[in-house]
Amino acid sequence: MLRASRGVLVQCDPSIRALILQIDNERPGIVLEELDDSHLLIKQDKIDVVKDELNKLLSKNIYNPFEEE
Amino acid sequence: MSSGNLFKATVNEYLEGLPRNVQSKLYEAPATCLSIFRLLPPMAKFYIMSMLFNEQSVALRDLDRWCKPSAKKLQYESLKRLKSLHLIEDDKLANHIQLNKTFRQNFRDCLTGSQDSNAFGTLCVAVDKHKVDIAFLDTFASSKWETILHFMVGTESTATPSKSVLSLLRSGGLMEGHASSLKITNTGFQFLLQDVNVQIWTLLLQYLNLTQELNMDPVDVLNFLFMLGSLELGKSYMVSSLSATQVSMLADLRDYGLVYQRSDSSGRFYPTRLATTLTSDSAALKTPSMALEQTLQTTDENDNPQPTEAPSSSQGSIIVETNFKIYSYSNSPLEIAILNLFVHLRTRFANMVCGQITRESIRKALYNGITADQIIKFLETHAHPQMQLLAKEKLDKKIEFDASHNINTAGGAPQSKGSDSNVQQHKLEILPPNIVDQIKLWQLELDRIQTFDGYLFKDFSTQQEFEILSNYASEVGVLIWSDKTKKKFFITEGGLDQVKNYANRKFK
Repeated sequence: MLRASRGVLVQCDPSIRALILQIDNERPGIVLEELDDSHLLIKQDKIDVVKDELNKLLSKNIYNPFEEE
Repeated sequence: MSSGNLFKATVNEYLEGLPRNVQSKLYEAPATCLSIFRLLPPMAKFYIMSMLFNEQSVALRDLDRWCKPSAKKLQYESLKRLKSLHLIEDDKLANHIQLNKTFRQNFRDCLTGSQDSNAFGTLCVAVDKHKVDIAFLDTFASSKWETILHFMVGTESTATPSKSVLSLLRSGGLMEGHASSLKITNTGFQFLLQDVNVQIWTLLLQYLNLTQELNMDPVDVLNFLFMLGSLELGKSYMVSSLSATQVSMLADLRDYGLVYQRSDSSGRFYPTRLATTLTSDSAALKTPSMALEQTLQTTDENDNPQPTEAPSSSQGSIIVETNFKIYSYSNSPLEIAILNLFVHLRTRFANMVCGQITRESIRKALYNGITADQIIKFLETHAHPQMQLLAKEKLDKKIEFDASHNINTAGGAPQSKGSDSNVQQHKLEILPPNIVDQIKLWQLELDRIQTFDGYLFKDFSTQQEFEILSNYASEVGVLIWSDKTKKKFFITEGGLDQVKNYANRKFK
């Protein structure tokens, strides 16, 4: 039977997708459905959490010229 | 970027949001009809033109035949616009529509020239003793408008705009604080980077909100604004043909530089270019150029009113090093303010500032809706002559090298990747290429995930069912993602009702 479910579609490249799945592993209940290599369906109220975590993960490897001074 | 749209299309939204009776009152003025028509997208214009002289109502089915199936999305959007403006109405016959009667009559009059002679203002026939020409009006308009912009970024030694302008800036959230210490807000910065036409409309809409509080008739106000948009530049018009509300608006519009009036008691007014381009696509004082570049170039285009500021911008002053350090030999507060948008400024000397481009500083700018291309363009156009000289020397050397070795090294350069021509050409690289690439990469980094709110449709019982529904969703332009083999598709939030209704009709 046809169903429609509410959520947020996230479009990203596979590397980011892997990161999101990793976040989901640590705190389950974020990803509702894995659609394909570049699309995920995510629970609506969890999208900010994902963005925050992603930001944290991504900025780990950034060089900041002011830190060493 | 989406935040760039903050100010866009606001006129249309405002009009669509008006109550129906106000809209129909608006359509009583031919000048307004013409202006609203000019603001519509091409497809909507086409529909109006084809229904204008047709007394009969038109079947929705016929509308479908007028456009290619591939243009369904455009058609859907145009009809939605027309409906929310109440320009088209449903007929008694089911599935038939017709043009709003008032609009039809007045728009016809205005096209055939049979409108009331007063509809587009009354020209002054008598010769003005203090006649002004178009050049004067342009200078007047831009100096008024520049005063507002300069005041916003806090350029020293600029006159403070009038009180009414200040209250507009504050109520529009463009500036905050008390009257003596107004500070520009984030939205204000965004505003500065917009095209002039958008800026004017933003202020005018704010003005409209204020006038409602002052119990001025919004229809009267809007009619006047739209009429201004249809007047002829360089001609003077009679004040006496305006309504009392409109006369009181003149003083305010003069402060914004939209109209010129020699004195309060003068019986005539001249619309300036800012006013006459309100509803047209043609450029206002400046072309809708790249935003950053535009804000600065205005200073040298209009160097007459502020001669002291011109030299710094007409001649580039910025040096960018490969280690992301930036030096700007400029005293213009406007330029420094703009640099401050995307550069981490560290020290300021008497004749220069220096700073550093960092990931954070660029991200801050990107969050504010400035694009990487804008930043690069800005740096390029304001590069120090020395940088340009260096870049030219490098380019000459490269070309010479290629010629003497009979090879083409440009193909490998990261900059020329996108070039379509078979023979790769060397490009003049004013900025260090690593900086350009890095800024672009930082922008890409922000766009790494895109999110869409909406609904996922799944568990279709047959492939056919899936295809019917997903085709429909893509036709009306709400489909974002679909997968044939998994029989799933995703639509936007707003499209749910439509697709649901269609499914109910189709399958039950």
